[in-house]
Amino acid sequence: MARESKPADAKLSHTAALILHAVDAGFIYGFSIMEMTGLPSGTVYPAMRRLERDELIRSHWERQSIADAEQRPPRKYYKLTPAGKITLEASRKRYPLLERLIPSEEAKSV
Amino acid sequence: MMAAFLPLLTLFDQGLLRTASFVVPRRQRAEWRQEWQSELWHVRRTCAPADCACWPAEQQVMAFCLGAFQDAFCLRQQCMPMRLPRPAKQGSAAQCILALAAILFACDAAALFLPGVRAERSLMVGQVNPGLVMIQNAGYSDDTSPTIRPHQYRTWKTRRQQYFDGFAFYRVQPDSVNQESAPAGSSASWGVAHASANLFILLGLPLRFADQDRNPADGLPSVILSERLWTREFGANSHVAGTVVRVGNRIARIAGVAPNGLWRLPGKVDAWLLEPEPEATAGAGYVIAHLTPAGAAEMWTQCVHITAYGPEDSEDILLGVSIQDYRPNPWSLYLFALLLALLALPAITSVSLGESSVSPQNTSWPRRLTRWSFLCTKIALLLPIVYFASLDMAYAFNTPYSNAAAYIQLISTFGLCLFGLRWILRDQRQRCPVCLRLVEHPAQVGQASRTFLAWNGTEMMCMDGHTLLHVPGIATSWFGAQRWLYLDTSWDFLFAGTLGD
Repeated sequence: MARESKPADAKLSHTAALILHAVDAGFIYGFSIMEMTGLPSGTVYPAMRRLERDELIRSHWERQSIADAEQRPPRKYYKLTPAGKITLEASRKRYPLLERLIPSEEAKSV
Repeated sequence: MMAAFLPLLTLFDQGLLRTASFVVPRRQRAEWRQEWQSELWHVRRTCAPADCACWPAEQQVMAFCLGAFQDAFCLRQQCMPMRLPRPAKQGSAAQCILALAAILFACDAAALFLPGVRAERSLMVGQVNPGLVMIQNAGYSDDTSPTIRPHQYRTWKTRRQQYFDGFAFYRVQPDSVNQESAPAGSSASWGVAHASANLFILLGLPLRFADQDRNPADGLPSVILSERLWTREFGANSHVAGTVVRVGNRIARIAGVAPNGLWRLPGKVDAWLLEPEPEATAGAGYVIAHLTPAGAAEMWTQCVHITAYGPEDSEDILLGVSIQDYRPNPWSLYLFALLLALLALPAITSVSLGESSVSPQNTSWPRRLTRWSFLCTKIALLLPIVYFASLDMAYAFNTPYSNAAAYIQLISTFGLCLFGLRWILRDQRQRCPVCLRLVEHPAQVGQASRTFLAWNGTEMMCMDGHTLLHVPGIATSWFGAQRWLYLDTSWDFLFAGTLGD
């Protein structure tokens, strides 16, 4: 029942909000989020599982042909859902300093 | 140097991920493993780009792989709530009964597997015949020394008796017992009771393999083996009955095996050689006698004084001690300790069930019947638990009928009964009268210093939203015992989440 609350009302922890910001800023796979936030893998991946469970982010696998062309294994990418975007807006009000921690321009240029 | 170990380190990292993957639920495992292996590939490329391993880089990679365990446990937990018992069932009456039944099963199972307890329990069905006394010289305070001479036994047996209608004699001496073909004196010494032929018939003790005895009427005396001797010297052969053995210098035929702990009379005996008549020159022994109805009427207590007249009108002052209660019976000890515990119970807890405040309007008779049935079931389960647990403790490392075992059983039964009954009463007082669920979330209300100005104590709540329990911190004349408050429908909003979950 608690999970049926509106996404905008969902109270994210600071870590979860940081990861949500990172995904929005273009850091769309686990290791890049780790590098950007400085959080260990044991924190980032479980947090992403919970965000995905709460339908704030969605994952999809990269096409095999792209991975083959670059001679590497395919990656799993994460993307914000509409509910995630609403929650992100709410978390920006709650954690205003997060904007400064995640340089979105840099991410877009990668 | 490190580069040589690179394949090994890669294998190790892969092994970590594979191990962690077993924590992940099966249906998500393959995808989870694929994601982590892909990420690991990228991590390794970033940390050690030229495939030249160095220790700090490997530490980073390993730290990354160790994080997979946390991720795996996170996924496992996300699937767990569906498997966990519903919160509504926690603290329920059924859970309590099941827990007690499980404890009872465990205690009973332990009793089955502990040899001492098994022997003790087998004796419960192998009680001696009623009306038997052991006769000994009244001048001896204990039974460790035999006091009756064979000629006394023969005299009593041949004379017409008013109070006794059967006598049996035995004396214990060390002897060797082995197969007839084995050389004499080649085996260890055992305690052998040289007994009259009617000893086991008079006692009425059951023997194993006694029905297999095919005595060919060769005049050989019978020998009964103890289970210990049978196992050690005869390899627990189930076709042992009828075998000819040598007992000391005598040749005898095996007539049966006495189960462990069957013998509760004085003397440590490993075999019983049953002879028609005891040797006249033999040493003193013990006499068992069976009372006639007239003799039984004379037994006011467990002991009776007997005056026996010898051949030259000499008088022997003897003492007859009932064999029925010769050693404390575990069942009698249990009942005695239970009685003591019941007497002591009011000293350590209130025997009230705290139902004085239960309104008859809110508790219909089926509910009250259920509540009382639950209490009776708990007691009915506790009593056998105490019995088996005390037997387990007493006879796990002690031989049957030893004094140490009896003391341990007495003390453990008393302690377990006392604190078990105390727990039952306290548990009953904290169960909602409507649903029998334990009340939870105790909250301290008020201050002890304001006891005489306002109320202070503890409040607990039924998680199904039926009742609120008030327990006073200090009993006063206006609030001496706990009180139940029935919650009406206006409280439902508080429990909506719990009920609908």
